[in-house]
Amino acid sequence: MTGAVFRETTAEPRTESVGLAHLSLELGHLYMEDFEGGPDRLRDHFRRVRPWVDAVRADATALAGGKRPRISTCFLIDDYFTRFSSPAELVPLLLDEADRAGLVIDYLARESACAVADGVPLAESVAGRLVESPPPGSHGLRPPVGRTGWLANGERTPAQRAREAMKSTAGWQPPRETAARRHSVFMDVELWDDKEGRRTWSCPFLAAVWQLARLGLLRHHGEPVLTASPRAQGDFPRDWDDLPPLLRLGDSAVPFSAYRTCSVLPSRFLPVEHAVRIVLDQVDVDSRALEQAARRSAQEGMPVPGSVADRVSYVFYTVP
Amino acid sequence: MLVFAASDKGGTGRSVTSANLAYQRALLGDDVAYVDFDFGSPTAAAVFDVPGALRGIKENGLHSYLVGEVGEPVRVDIWSRTEHPVLRDRPGGSGRLVLLPGDVSGGEFATDQETLRRCVDLMLDLTSEFDVVIVDLSAGRSYAMDMVLEATARPELSGVEARWLVFHRWTRQHVIAASGLVFKEHGILDGGAARGHDKEALRGAIRFVRAAVPDLDSPLWSQVSPAQSVWMERCDEYLRQLASDRGIGDSVVLGTVPLEPILQWREQLITEVDVLSTQIAGKETLEALEELARRLFDDARWGRS
Amino acid sequence: MDAPVDTTRPVIACGEVRTWLLPSFRPLAAQEAARLLLLRADERVLVSERPNLYALSPDTLTGVDCRLPTSNGARVRVVGTVAARASLTEGRVVQATAYFRAPATGPAARQPWGHYLVRPGVLEPLGKLPEQAVAQGVLAGGRPGELDLGLIADGLLTRLRQHPLLHKNTRVPFKSRRTSLRWVALPAPDGQGPSIERFTLAEDDLRTVRLRVPRDTEPSAVAGLCEDFALHDWLLTTVVRMIDGKLVPVEGQAALKALRPAVEHLLHLWMPRARVDRTLAPLWDVLEQESGFTRQWRTLSQRIRDQLALLQTIGSLPEAPLHRDGAAESRLGTAS
Repeated sequence: MTGAVFRETTAEPRTESVGLAHLSLELGHLYMEDFEGGPDRLRDHFRRVRPWVDAVRADATALAGGKRPRISTCFLIDDYFTRFSSPAELVPLLLDEADRAGLVIDYLARESACAVADGVPLAESVAGRLVESPPPGSHGLRPPVGRTGWLANGERTPAQRAREAMKSTAGWQPPRETAARRHSVFMDVELWDDKEGRRTWSCPFLAAVWQLARLGLLRHHGEPVLTASPRAQGDFPRDWDDLPPLLRLGDSAVPFSAYRTCSVLPSRFLPVEHAVRIVLDQVDVDSRALEQAARRSAQEGMPVPGSVADRVSYVFYTVP
Repeated sequence: MLVFAASDKGGTGRSVTSANLAYQRALLGDDVAYVDFDFGSPTAAAVFDVPGALRGIKENGLHSYLVGEVGEPVRVDIWSRTEHPVLRDRPGGSGRLVLLPGDVSGGEFATDQETLRRCVDLMLDLTSEFDVVIVDLSAGRSYAMDMVLEATARPELSGVEARWLVFHRWTRQHVIAASGLVFKEHGILDGGAARGHDKEALRGAIRFVRAAVPDLDSPLWSQVSPAQSVWMERCDEYLRQLASDRGIGDSVVLGTVPLEPILQWREQLITEVDVLSTQIAGKETLEALEELARRLFDDARWGRS
Repeated sequence: MDAPVDTTRPVIACGEVRTWLLPSFRPLAAQEAARLLLLRADERVLVSERPNLYALSPDTLTGVDCRLPTSNGARVRVVGTVAARASLTEGRVVQATAYFRAPATGPAARQPWGHYLVRPGVLEPLGKLPEQAVAQGVLAGGRPGELDLGLIADGLLTRLRQHPLLHKNTRVPFKSRRTSLRWVALPAPDGQGPSIERFTLAEDDLRTVRLRVPRDTEPSAVAGLCEDFALHDWLLTTVVRMIDGKLVPVEGQAALKALRPAVEHLLHLWMPRARVDRTLAPLWDVLEQESGFTRQWRTLSQRIRDQLALLQTIGSLPEAPLHRDGAAESRLGTAS
């Protein structure tokens, strides 16, 4: 007999829905080297971004059938790999330079929030949902990604050395992309490293978490995560830890998460974003969150692609 | 309990003696697994007389398991699969006796993290199911030895008792080699410490087994000339002194196995029938093996009483 | 009734349960069980304390692209994900199940991986799937390179064993063996209830079950039923082995040592049907009638209790020689 207690906690798991815009538009990613380039570097960045933002808006308007699309903009600051400056110093500068280029940043996020936000281990949760695309012949024996910390888009080159002294090596064998069209573009992504008992998530992996958050596909025990906090009165804090993981800067009513995302980034991010795609292609996303996004986008007449990775787009601009 | 059987040189009778230990422990009622990590030359199938059972196993042995080609290594139940006429009648009160063979065509192989992982899993599995797990290691400082030293240093295996038996013949070279295997640079102690073992604890878990030792009181040697007899005793005395100087004196010896043609030539289990009916094996040899099997679990012999 | 046949409907579900004593000296408490089974940081472990302590992990997925075992050698390549989950009963017995369901036909070529990710626990054939041949093939076990559910279940157990909760605490209170139970469920004829077609004690540690279940039965419910079968079969197997040859004659401390773990760790675990889906629960009655699980268990428990009572009453007598040494001596005696 099935006990009532058991049924209550298990049979009807609930997944809360989140507000969804049409498009989440990322205006940039700030690392220490960018900051060290001074205000000119930021100014130049936003100036280069501006025309693309206009183009993306035009495209979104067309997709929305000529109606005004719901677009929220966001900006990500690295406080995970290196800590620099302070919110009090940096954020006003950032907002000034965006404003100078005629851009509005609706949401500001800290990169460390993609690892842990408000005590919820987002990166660990996504890592736990990785389901590797099996190369042909996989019958369950591959070491799971959870043990190796590496994720590929195909089959790796077998180890070069002879596994056994008595057996001869077969010579070099190429790796193979599982979804290759005749020729392979093979990539193997390091998701994290463990040093001295501490796990550091890689930049591409955190970027994949960032994309999932912007697509409204992350939950913790069914509840939304990385929810935006309103801006507090007064100056920005002196310590990054005192800044909310996701900050709503203006009074924009457009939600942070969206059906699709677009990021305008310098072209040096291309390999990172290729890696992001490999991760997104192999994440078993919360099925109820997926279903919510699919249903609501369809109701609005702009259904999302089935593949999560196909909901993500980019504009890469070159730096002179 | 895990028991590792090691030797620096070949020809010590390590495999055949440890297989006999396994057999004796099973007769005492223990469930015993014998794990053939002698990757260079897996011979356990011959010792347990299970060639037929192994004919089908070309690929599913311990090599294939450790390198990740199969999920579980093959097990051979000795009592039911042996072609040895005596072993086939499993004595009442005896425990299980299971062989995990190497692959027929396998050789030594390098160890990586996944291999190590599987080795730890195997040890955990077997120790939760068997009273004694005897692991026969290749002679010398092998990959197999490195692997088990590393595996036993892992936290998962820290709750499992491990004992080491180092086999050597009773000759000058063998005594020096056995001592070197344990105490010299890159030996078991150094290698163990480098992998996280407590050196003193590891030292306390190592005992030596002197193999192929001529028993001067046995009838075999009763016909030798007085001069020969004196010479032999002097040699024996010299070897005792050497062993003691090299840190492998009597206090760390678990047992002595007499020079026994049946062990040297036939490489098989010694049963009572061999001693009592056909009389092709010496009574002393069987007694020595039985004694060794008892001492394996005699905590007083391991500084534990 | 005359709706066109939906080829995407599953026509077979298969699974394999591995049942195992948790490698820990003491049983885990409810909170520890929840930590152990937290296979996904963002999904809850289900913990229930009535009628006994039970914890169930969320499902995890393993991608496969390989052939299915078939009884007639037919080559059936499937692509998709196998679901696997682990449970812990009374903090003591751990079980891992790997299972999947499959439709009769699938796309002719492999699809992008995202297509399979949104169908968790489903393996799609490339072409047609002969469910009868697959059912027999899965129960018989595959050849190397064919889908091996046991491997995936074992992989999950291995993962649990690496949990820091179990480090330094791995000395088990008694020896036991890991058992496997393979199951297949085919659709019952329309309008008919579930049935057991066969329950086999195959090899030493392998059981196989062939079921018919109504079409709308969730595979996880079948997995739950088979886990319940496997748990109780493991209990019987383990206790039978534990007391094998130890009930008579009375051997003082040795017998006590052999029987105590049964009382301390196992006898209270017998609770068939504790969490079996209502529609499948009647299958337990069938099993009871056919193989008398509970009858055998009651007899065993009673014998153990009687024996312990007997040992207690003669506990003041001088200790008898240990069973093992006695056996060794008598052996020499008879041979000479």
